[in-house]
This record gives sequence, structure tokens and C-alpha cells, in this order.
Amino acid sequence: MPYSFTQIEKDKSKVIGFVFAFLISLYFLTAWVIYFAVKFYVLLDSLQEEWAYSSTVNPLADLISIEETLLIFLIATFCGFIHWFVIITNLVPKILRSVGAQELDPKDSYHQMFQNIIEEVSIATGGKKIRGVVAPTMAMNAFAVADFEGRATIGITEGLLSRLSRAQIEAVVGHEAAHIVSGDCLSTTVISSLFGLYTDMLSGMQRMMFSGGSRGRGRGQGVVLIVFVILQLANLMASIMRMFIFRQREFRADAIAVRLTRDPLALAGALYTISRRWRGSGVGGEYLEAIFMMNPKFSRLDENTGFFSDLFSTHPPVKKRLDVLLNMAHAETSALEEEFSKQKLKPRQIPSEMSVAQTPLAGRASEWIIYKDGQWLGPYGLEQLTGLGWLQPDSWIKQVGGERVTHAFEDQQLSKVFKQGSSVDQVSCPKCQTALSQFPYEGLSILKCPYCLGILVKSDDIFKILSREEIGLSENIQKIANGLEKELATRRSRWNDKVQKINTVQLLTCPVCRNAAVKMVRMFYSDAYRIEIDKCVFCDNNWFDKDEIEVLQYLVEKMTQTNPGG
Amino acid sequence: MIWWIILGVLVFVAVGIVGIYNNFVQLRQNVRNGWSQIDVQLKRRHDLIPNLVETAKGYMAHERATLENVIKARQQAVDASGIKNKQEAENFLSSTLRSLFAVVENYPNLKADQQMMRLHEELTSTENKIAFARQYYNDETARYNTATQTFPNNVVAGLFHFSQMDFFEIKDPAHKEAPNVKF
Repeated sequence: MPYSFTQIEKDKSKVIGFVFAFLISLYFLTAWVIYFAVKFYVLLDSLQEEWAYSSTVNPLADLISIEETLLIFLIATFCGFIHWFVIITNLVPKILRSVGAQELDPKDSYHQMFQNIIEEVSIATGGKKIRGVVAPTMAMNAFAVADFEGRATIGITEGLLSRLSRAQIEAVVGHEAAHIVSGDCLSTTVISSLFGLYTDMLSGMQRMMFSGGSRGRGRGQGVVLIVFVILQLANLMASIMRMFIFRQREFRADAIAVRLTRDPLALAGALYTISRRWRGSGVGGEYLEAIFMMNPKFSRLDENTGFFSDLFSTHPPVKKRLDVLLNMAHAETSALEEEFSKQKLKPRQIPSEMSVAQTPLAGRASEWIIYKDGQWLGPYGLEQLTGLGWLQPDSWIKQVGGERVTHAFEDQQLSKVFKQGSSVDQVSCPKCQTALSQFPYEGLSILKCPYCLGILVKSDDIFKILSREEIGLSENIQKIANGLEKELATRRSRWNDKVQKINTVQLLTCPVCRNAAVKMVRMFYSDAYRIEIDKCVFCDNNWFDKDEIEVLQYLVEKMTQTNPGG
Repeated sequence: MIWWIILGVLVFVAVGIVGIYNNFVQLRQNVRNGWSQIDVQLKRRHDLIPNLVETAKGYMAHERATLENVIKARQQAVDASGIKNKQEAENFLSSTLRSLFAVVENYPNLKADQQMMRLHEELTSTENKIAFARQYYNDETARYNTATQTFPNNVVAGLFHFSQMDFFEIKDPAHKEAPNVKF
């Protein structure tokens, strides 16, 4: 009876009660030992005297009285309670922030699919309510968390969402849902966050200090040391806590997942693919390893069997999990390998329409030039004028081919621009001032300029685009990308020496913030992928010129194919 | 003394009957819950189909027959009542939908249509939901039926008229294909 929740509720509270008792005894023991050590040190002289007189009685025995022990116990219990409640309150939001998870975007077709899959699996469990979130990283992993109110959340990474087939994602969600219905999700969440959350915060602090360490010497170093010591302690505690997380729970979740989705092969395929690719080491939240489907850190402990690994590791060996699943499906490992290699070579399905102009340029009937700040600008078409933030009804304009210079509102065609009044909420191209239009790309809706074919993308969306491989990249793109790589190989050394001088006049104004005083920053996408982009540091929007995002996609894809894993 | 023993046995039996009865009620509630889930999803599918046909119409004028079949099958499914009739109508609808999507494969423009992609995903999802809801319903029905047939439960079941429930079966031959087994 896998779905009878009442039985499971009882087991759940047993484990959690046990952990709570353990936490308090841990505090008690530490406090007692510290107190003992301090008292021993302080009373060292008098103790030595005592020893000298009476060698038969052990003076250590009555160093700490029963009353003192009781007091220590009370204080330890108090500390344990505070620790417990600090962790327990808002547990799930804290974890989600640590992992960097985000709400689903209903406009994103991939997210919509994920939402559907969660609903499907929820029905298979008999109607357990589950919330879905995504972590914007290209790593491949999934996790489930739950709190004491029974609210459950399943999260997967963008990398997993875009690289696995629908059936495989379904199997993964089934696996996570299995953790939730079998009740081990709650205990895993609580146990791993008791110390894991601190570890996560502290290691973030440590990284920050090390990076900016050269400036604040002296007092800063002391803080670094203290943080380091606490970090090591928390790490130790976290690994002790892992004893309470049984690696067997993964086998059980796999089994229930198969019971829910009836597709052992898809789950095996998903596990195999995740195990062969990057699972997310180095990304925030890796200290909460136990909540993930596969350990984000590649740990030798996980792949071993035996008493020691059984006790301290959080995940069973991948191979063993695969064997069980393949046995259920009567299949062999070779089938998975074949599928995996096929996946890598999978041709992209839809030809890209990115480089096709939506409105033919010939359609422009008339153009105007506009007088601004002492010079004539333009010529602009009607659509471009719509997007011009600075065009005022009393601006001086002149129609191309016409004779008369007039106010903008006097021109019959132009007066329409003002009547629409849409230029306020419309985003216009930073280069040609045309209104940007919505363009569906890799399951997202991005803003694209119909004239220069540049696009405006949020930083989070770049991750999504990079991990999705739906749109076909043309040969032209591949040629540009290869050319760029060759150029880089020859010029890299020079680039590292000199910062390129940038002409500030050419810098773009962010089309969303529209603050002409603060321009967008022109930079490379990253050191490894030197694609020039314009980034607005305020609203996190990025401007890619024509073809640039596709070149970037091609380069990233090539890189991940030549060295998968991480 | 003997009266005490008889009284003890009676109390024991009464407690047993109450326990079994409550268990039956719980199980039956699960089954009903499962059925209502199926019903919700079937309705959702019925709502999606007109949109699908509308979208497909623009691209595939030559496949009028396939589209009309889907519409007809949908109407039958909407009108059907009772588990047995519903099953047949829904299974027929499933098969016509499958043949529609097989035809769609031949129209790359239609396949790439944003609206069509969304509808396709929605329908796939709804099909899965129906499958899962049916799976849950059948599992719970099996548990309930087993419970009513085993001794001593069957005595209590007969006493309070807990009768057997029907499974939601698949009569579609495409679904019954044996899986490829390799040794």
C-alpha cells in the first residue's frame, strides 16, 4: 500500500523526533565538554595540590556537580530549540533561495510543460498538491523539499528541463514525487538544512572575503579565520547528520516512481544522462546534497558500498540504481548508451527564423528626418518613430522628398504616432529606435527588432536559451562561430593584456530603463565566449546584435559536446 | 464465567466489524475520488478538441474526413453516460486523436505553429493525466475489490452491501501490444 499516507506520517515524526533529540544531546555534550575544559584549566593549580595530597580519590569525578550538569542541559536544550526553530521557520523559501530557484513562467513553453508534468504526476499519486520551481543553471539535477505543513515543492534545473525527453522528465518528477509521498522528503529537508543551510551561507561569505581579501587586512583576517573555523565545524556536523539520511531511500523512490509512471526505462535513461553530464557542483546549494536526485558533488563515497559508505553517504551508487531499473524493464546498459549518444547527435528540429526580417523594408512608404539638438537625424520610418522616446509633438520634422519643415503634430501621418500613445510601454530598439516585437524563440518570448534583427534578452533567459537545443543553427552561423574561434586563438594573448578602448558615443541606451545618462555596458559574454553584448546593469537586460545569440549557442553547445561532465 | 467469555467474543467481533466497515468506507472513498479525477480530465480533453480542430483546419484542408471523425468521436464521448459506455466512447476518441496527430506529422508548417505546439502539449498532458487517473482509479478499485472478497471481510461486505466496482479498462488494441522483451 504505497499511497496510504497515515502509516507514513507516523514513521516521519519518529525520525524527526530522533533527530531533534540528537541535536539537543549534541549541544549538551559540546557545552559540557567546553565547560569541563574551562573549569579544568581555571582550577589547574588547586587540582594539582589536591592530587599531591590524595592519590587514591579521582578529583576529576566531582569537578562538575549534578546541579551544574543540569544547568548545562537546560541551556543546551534552550540553544537546541532556538537552532531548531530558526531553521524550521520559512524552511522551504530559505532553501529555494539558497538553490536560486525561481517561480515558473507561464509564458515559457518549457515551463508550461514542466507544470503539466507535475500535475500529471500529482494525479498519479492520488491528488497530492505539488508546486514546481526551476533553478536557472545549465547543470542537470532535480530536488524535492517539503515542510511541516505538508506543502511540497519539486524543483528541476533548466539544463535538465531542456535536455531530457518528456518521458524522462516525467520519470524524474515521479521520482521526486515518490520522495514526497513516502514521507522521507520532509526528514531529508530538515536534516540536511539543520547545518547545511549555515554551511551554504558561510561558504558564500568566505568566498566573498577571499575575493576581496587583499584590501581589508588585519581585522578582516580574524573574521576570515573565525568564519573558517565555524565552517569546518558546521561541515563536520552536517556530515554526522547525514547518518540519519539513509541512502536506501533513493532505491525506494525509484521503485515508487516506476509504480507511478510505469516507465522504468525512461527513469534509467534520465539517471544515466544526469550521471554522464554536469550535475551542478559549484553551484549554490550543493551543501544540501541530500535533497537532490543525484549528489551534485561527485563523491567517491557514493559510488562505494560497505558499512562506512552506507552510514555516511547520501546517495547509492548510480550503477546499482540503473541495474535495478534495467532489470525491471528487461533491458541492458547498452540500450542507454546508445540512446545517450543519439541524444547528443540529435538534429535540431525547427529551422531558425531568427535572421528573417518580419517586415520587408520595401514596405516603408515615407520617411522623415527630425531636428534634434542642432542636427538633423534620420531618416526614420513610421514604425521607427513610434518607438522614438524623445520625439515630441513640437519637434521640427521634414518629410524625405518634401520641402516644408513643420512641427511633428502638423503632419497627418505622424500625428497618429502620438495618438497611439503606446510609446510609453513599448520597448524600442536601442540601435534603430523601432518598436521591438515579441518573437518566439526556444520556447521563450523575446524582444526582437524587425529591422536590425538584434534581440533583447534578460540575463536569466540567456541560460534558458543556451541549454535548449530546439532551433536549428544554420551553416552560416557555424561559419561565423568557427571564424570567431580562430580569431580568438590568434588574438587571445593580446586581448588579455589590453583593455579595449571603447568609444562612449557609440554606447547604447538601455531601451527599458531609458536613462540616456547611464549607458549600457559593452562587454564580452564571458571570458571563454567572447561575444560582444551590451548589458544594462540596472535591469539586467542584454542586447545581442544580429546572429550573436546563435553564435553563442553554437559555441556553448560545441564546448559541452567535446567535454561533457564537469 | 461462560457469560463473560461470550460477552468478550461479542465485543471482539463488534470491534472487528466496525474496523472492517470503516476500512471499506475509506477504500470506497478513494475509488470515488479516483473516478472524479478521471471525469475532470475527460472534460478537459473535450474542451481542448474544438480548438485543436479549428487550428488544424487552416493548414490541412485535404484531411476533412480525419477532422470530422474527431469531432464526431468527441460528441459521442460527451453524450455517453455510465462507465461502460464512457469507456468505449473515450477509447474511440483516443484512437481518432492518434490518427489525427499521425497526419499532422506530414504538415511541417502546422507542426511548427505556435498555437498547435501549445495545443499538442496540452493534449499530450491531458492524455497522460487521463492515463494516470485511470491507473490510480484501477489500483484503488483493485484494493477495494480484494478487500471485499477476502475472509472475513466478505461477510461484512455482504452485510452492508459493499459490492464490487468496475475497472476502467482499455479496449484499444494499440495499447495492448506486448512490450519488446529482450533476454
